[in-house]
Amino acid sequence: MKMIRNRFGNLSRVSVQLQRHVQQMATSAAVAPAEGATINEFRTAVANPGEHSALQLAKFYTIPAEQKKQIFTGGGLPKQYELQIKTFTEACLMVRNPALELLEYIKGADLTKPVVRYVLYGENGTGKTLTMAHVLHYGALNDFLLVHVPWAPNWMKRPKEASNAAGQEGMIDLPFDAAAWLVHFKNQNGKLLQRLQLKTGKEYVWSKRESTPAGSPLLELVEHGIARIKYASETTAALISELKQLSTAGQCKVMVAIDGFNAFFHPITRIFSDNKQRVTPDRITLTQPFLDITNYDWTNGVCILSVDKIAMTEGYMDSYMPRYLLGQAGFEHLDPFVPVHVDNYTDKEFHSYINYYLDRHWINKTPQGFEEQLKFMSNKNPYSLMQLVRAL
Amino acid sequence: MALRVFSLNLVKTNRNLLQNGFKSPAPPTGHMAPAASFATEVTVQAAPAAVQKQKVSKAMRAYLKRANEHDEFMKTQHLEFQIGKRHLANMMGADAETFTQEDVDEAISYLFPSGLYDPKARPAMKSPDVVFPARKAAEFDETGRPFHSLFYTGKPNFFQLLHDIVEETNKLADLEERMLRRGNKPDENQKLEIDGFHLLPKDQLELLLVESIADIEYSNFCNSMDRLIASPYAYKSKTFIERFLKPLMDQSNQLEVPKPKIDGEGRQYITTYECLRKTARADVTVRLPGTGKISINGKNISYFEDENCREQLLFPLQFSELLGKVDVEANVEGGGPSGQAGAIRWGIAMSLRSFVDQEMIESMRLAGLLTRDYRRRERKKFGQEGARRKYTWKKR
Repeated sequence: MKMIRNRFGNLSRVSVQLQRHVQQMATSAAVAPAEGATINEFRTAVANPGEHSALQLAKFYTIPAEQKKQIFTGGGLPKQYELQIKTFTEACLMVRNPALELLEYIKGADLTKPVVRYVLYGENGTGKTLTMAHVLHYGALNDFLLVHVPWAPNWMKRPKEASNAAGQEGMIDLPFDAAAWLVHFKNQNGKLLQRLQLKTGKEYVWSKRESTPAGSPLLELVEHGIARIKYASETTAALISELKQLSTAGQCKVMVAIDGFNAFFHPITRIFSDNKQRVTPDRITLTQPFLDITNYDWTNGVCILSVDKIAMTEGYMDSYMPRYLLGQAGFEHLDPFVPVHVDNYTDKEFHSYINYYLDRHWINKTPQGFEEQLKFMSNKNPYSLMQLVRAL
Repeated sequence: MALRVFSLNLVKTNRNLLQNGFKSPAPPTGHMAPAASFATEVTVQAAPAAVQKQKVSKAMRAYLKRANEHDEFMKTQHLEFQIGKRHLANMMGADAETFTQEDVDEAISYLFPSGLYDPKARPAMKSPDVVFPARKAAEFDETGRPFHSLFYTGKPNFFQLLHDIVEETNKLADLEERMLRRGNKPDENQKLEIDGFHLLPKDQLELLLVESIADIEYSNFCNSMDRLIASPYAYKSKTFIERFLKPLMDQSNQLEVPKPKIDGEGRQYITTYECLRKTARADVTVRLPGTGKISINGKNISYFEDENCREQLLFPLQFSELLGKVDVEANVEGGGPSGQAGAIRWGIAMSLRSFVDQEMIESMRLAGLLTRDYRRRERKKFGQEGARRKYTWKKR
């Protein structure tokens, strides 16, 4: 009996020592937060995407409210995710492999060389848009001018208004959508544009009385487009060609991010021309500048494009592969590009997400084996998981 | 006149009339249908011609006439059937001599394609023996004497059966007493096994007896049979008892759990074929040491887009607590998503029986996992909008 007690005594002493040791470790970690400081096992305090590495894999980082407001006010996060953010009162993104891969490429890229096109592809609901959001956050923090189209198919599928273009015969203008995009551009880049003091390279004549002289600030050009909605499409084209020239000249860095890029190569749109016939995307004035900026004839920029099944319409949704979704013309336009596959969650990411939901008290009831069941039902697909645990 | 064979006989409804005709209770004489089989054909021994002339009763004459008519009728029917069959064989370019009933059915369904829902309503050509079922034979000779001693009970076959059961029971009771006196005990090895059997249901017993019986009479039969079977020496009258037992074949088959086989990687596996639900059919293979991998026609669970279909697959795995421990492969075709999911669910559940204990099988059965779902789409009715829904009623 005594022996046993002695042993227990020893054991308890050891455990006390261990605890002390752990506490010391913890305090030392708190002193030096630079070394991948973790708040939780599923959270990370590193809010700068530039510092994310494999250490932060499958962990959540929070986008500060004002940055989120700056980047994502005009779209860029899926609607359902936006709702979730509102419910949880914090904009959390998970650090995932495709985003890390992309960030690594971008950080290591030689910007003096022609732009590299990165194409995000993957099944429905795997997180292409959120990967793009992660990279956009990096771009915004690292003085990239963002040329961001939150969801290109919106222009082809549900434009606010379509009118005949004034200058070009047989072309269709989407003045309201173009203006909305200009507002989005201004929101994202207003501060940076003021700081960089970018000037237009040539004079733009809009009509007999209106013109933007050469050497006027770029912000003025944007504001003109917003104020004169009629010329919004032309302004967009002008802005984008200016941006290309400026970045090639080395005055700024540009990050192009277009979600649902394959919509530009869809055989038809839902817009009708004057003779009641469906218009092809290349006859929309907005298409040209964005195809232009995804070309490789300029430098000092990066292009992040995503191809998506749901950007297509019925009958064109058989595969999620870029070659199928872009078609011959689109593939040749982008060739060569760097494909980045966005896949379903890994086990670790899935577990982390469940923990996050539990932490937010979003999952209330935790019967035995609920995680396994959710894994089975969702197939570890992010969107399916979100739908499965959604509010009623 | 020596023998006369009545092939098809008296209509049951006429029995009362006949009974009224024979007021005097005649003692049981002459022939009687053998108790063992309640045959529909009876050989009638007629009285000598001299007696016969005087004694043939009115009822008997009427009966004979009807029987003759029926014989004639059946004869012409047979003839017509043969001719029809030959024509059909000619039409189909087959040999008339070797044209079987299967060929006839095939030819009819080819020549008269029918979309009618009920198979019984579709055109058919069958032998008159099948179309006009056999009826009970005459129960009395030409002089009007009933063959059977229990004729006047109205249900001679049934009461004879009860009589036989009681006789058997008494025999066994006697035997038991004798054995007891000698100090012998019944042989345990020979004990009558009636697990997986049950007594003939009422409708089948009626068919066997060629008599309709009341519910209370059927319960009397059941009680006396139970008493007989309960006897420790019941195995002595095994042949008698077995005539009234029906095996529960389907269920006992189901209860037999197949042994898992071993595949190339050394894993146990079970394949269930013919998993049916609605119009879907599937075969499902479950492998035991697994990681929860699902493969349906080569795709994973994303084969089913609907939440409820995925849930169907989840249920047996989660219920048997083998989720994530087995791999499932399924090939499925036909039907829609919910039918396919249901077929695979049944297949998984049936296969999982080999990997769980008896208790779990029983609770799976109670949960309805092992029950085949026979529900099908209900047809649309004319005059209605759908299967059940009526058109909107509008006053004018």
